[in-house]
Amino acid sequence: MKRVFTVGLCIFGMLLGPLFGLAYGDEGRNYFKVGVITSLSGDLATGGNVTKRGYDLWAQEVNRLGGIEIDGKKYPVKLVYADAQSEPSAGASAAERLATQEKVDFILGPYSSGVTLACAPVLEKYKIPMITGSAESPIIWKQKFRYTFGTIPPVNYTGSTPMKTLASLTPPPKTAIILGSNDAFSKATAEAFKASAEALGIKILKYDIVPQGQDLTPYMAVAKATRPDIIAFGGHDEELINLVKALRQINYTPKALLMHYGVTEPAFVEALGKDAEGVFGATVWTSTIPTHGEVLWPDAKSYAEAALKAFNVPADYTQAGSSAAGIAFQVALAQIKATPPLSPEEREALVEALEKINIRTFYGTVNFATEGQYYHANVGLTPLTVQIQNGHTAIVGPPEYAESPAIYPMKPWNQR
Amino acid sequence: MLQLLPQAIVDGILIGGIYITVAIGFSLAYGVMHVIDFAVGEWIMLGAFMGFYLNRWLGLEPILLFPVIFLSFFVVGLWIQPLIHRVLSGRRGNPVLMGLVFTFGLALMIRGIALTVFGFYSHSIPSSLAQGSLFFQVGPIFVTIPLIRLTGLGYAVLVTMGLYYILHRTDFGLAVRALAQHKEAAGLMGVNARRTGGHVYGLYTGISATTGALIGCIFSISAQMGPDYTIFAFFVVVLAGMGYLPGVPWAAFLLGFVQSFFLIYLSPSYTMLAVFAALYLILLISPKGIFGKGV
Repeated sequence: MKRVFTVGLCIFGMLLGPLFGLAYGDEGRNYFKVGVITSLSGDLATGGNVTKRGYDLWAQEVNRLGGIEIDGKKYPVKLVYADAQSEPSAGASAAERLATQEKVDFILGPYSSGVTLACAPVLEKYKIPMITGSAESPIIWKQKFRYTFGTIPPVNYTGSTPMKTLASLTPPPKTAIILGSNDAFSKATAEAFKASAEALGIKILKYDIVPQGQDLTPYMAVAKATRPDIIAFGGHDEELINLVKALRQINYTPKALLMHYGVTEPAFVEALGKDAEGVFGATVWTSTIPTHGEVLWPDAKSYAEAALKAFNVPADYTQAGSSAAGIAFQVALAQIKATPPLSPEEREALVEALEKINIRTFYGTVNFATEGQYYHANVGLTPLTVQIQNGHTAIVGPPEYAESPAIYPMKPWNQR
Repeated sequence: MLQLLPQAIVDGILIGGIYITVAIGFSLAYGVMHVIDFAVGEWIMLGAFMGFYLNRWLGLEPILLFPVIFLSFFVVGLWIQPLIHRVLSGRRGNPVLMGLVFTFGLALMIRGIALTVFGFYSHSIPSSLAQGSLFFQVGPIFVTIPLIRLTGLGYAVLVTMGLYYILHRTDFGLAVRALAQHKEAAGLMGVNARRTGGHVYGLYTGISATTGALIGCIFSISAQMGPDYTIFAFFVVVLAGMGYLPGVPWAAFLLGFVQSFFLIYLSPSYTMLAVFAALYLILLISPKGIFGKGV
């Protein structure tokens, strides 16, 4: 009986806690309550935590300066996290919770396109603006969600650039094998690589979408008989490392190995060491790109230094894009002069302000498209081709941005 | 297409070798303790990280670290097993269900701690064996055998034969088999269920952790890697017949062949579907595994 009483008391206490929370709710608060949905656990925890760093760094910098300035008064920001657990369904639940229980003013969006696609309809229902700093699948923007924006352009906007860079090299690659992992972002990346390769006259020897986490060694052991010039893969960090390891194990070095997200992460180089050398990637930001910021950080270099100081890890384009998402909200809020907590009318005005925004940041220009296939995606940036050279990402294309010539063909694995 | 056949067979065997190492300890532990240990993937993950850090600090070839990793996790297993034994031998509720809940909780706890301690980045264990392969070609027929996967197969054979020897040629093995057959009767014959169970669990955690270090040489590792391997261990053991140790290698090779042939001959998009379908069909026909000898 005593045990039943104790357990009952605990359950009662747990139920009562949130009620007190509601009773002492934060109506009339003088800070912006910002929801952050990202994948802090699960298969995509790496990218999720990178976005978190970007959002955290923005919030730290804003609060260090006293907050977001609205009509001469400064309002700090408070981030409320929700773990999407790398699962779209968990992401949708997280969005629901942030909208109905936490009553956030706006949301900094999830890591991974799949989770974004699950969260966006929920936020449409509650009319809460969201900017994702990492989702890159074009499917998101084709849905034309009114309340969802993104600072990173979709992969069909960026994916053709690395193929163009590769096609311009000597001797020009003639054949390619293109693979994509079976998730929204990776599939779109593979499709973008395929479309641009075909447009450039590169023959596609094989094109496959494979299950996430698939062991690709048997596939590559057979594929190497066709000796493709390019192997291009759309996937996430862990899968990219596994593909390089598979090629290393079967000892096949293509002339060019192209990936997208993950190559710019410091962990890619750390995990693979000299085997990471020469791998191509696509990005929209590096710490060396010449940008001029009007808000918070004056350029890419100063942001990179601040990020390194805060987290002791170099920033990549996802982290930068996440911080830029915060800046976009900050500027739009200042423009509409909305103070916390935001009313439904102010949230509508915020969406309209975001649609008109055109600001220069350390990350590049943030300018959301208002029509067409890129609806609400940032189209103010220039896609770049990067390559791992001496353990760092170097811009190798387009020519006007190139920091160094591309190393091509790749040095064979066993000669490194 | 026939020229790809040798490669498909070799790949099937090599993938099967990895599955054996993932599942054999798990099957042994189930056979004796009759509890599905959901933490199998986490032991693999912890072993992988121990291999990663030892390799980084000592600079030794990962395969040379196997004995240290095995012994370390053998001790951890000895320490953990009494807790499971206590849950399983409790008088309240359903002990088998409580055992499942306990190992599930253990898995979640280990994963959470690992994410905090090791961080969220993926890592890789460098090995000279992962930097080359054997290549044979006769006319249009060719076969590539990555050395590290061949090592994995060798390790799988070694573990299988070692377990066979222990179970069939030693007094301890006799006690284990007796315990697996009938716990109470074995107890009446003088078998100390608690101590024997502890040693079996230690063997299982040791083998699983060592497998983790091997996997770290072949694939990337991360604090989140565990559940994938738990699923595969479960697949193999269910296919082999729950607790039927001799079935494990055959089930592992079968899954390896399904995966390899689908990847090479059919569509890579459907390899996991094929694995699920094979498991489903076989269990439909023979619910006690391919040999019909599972629990």
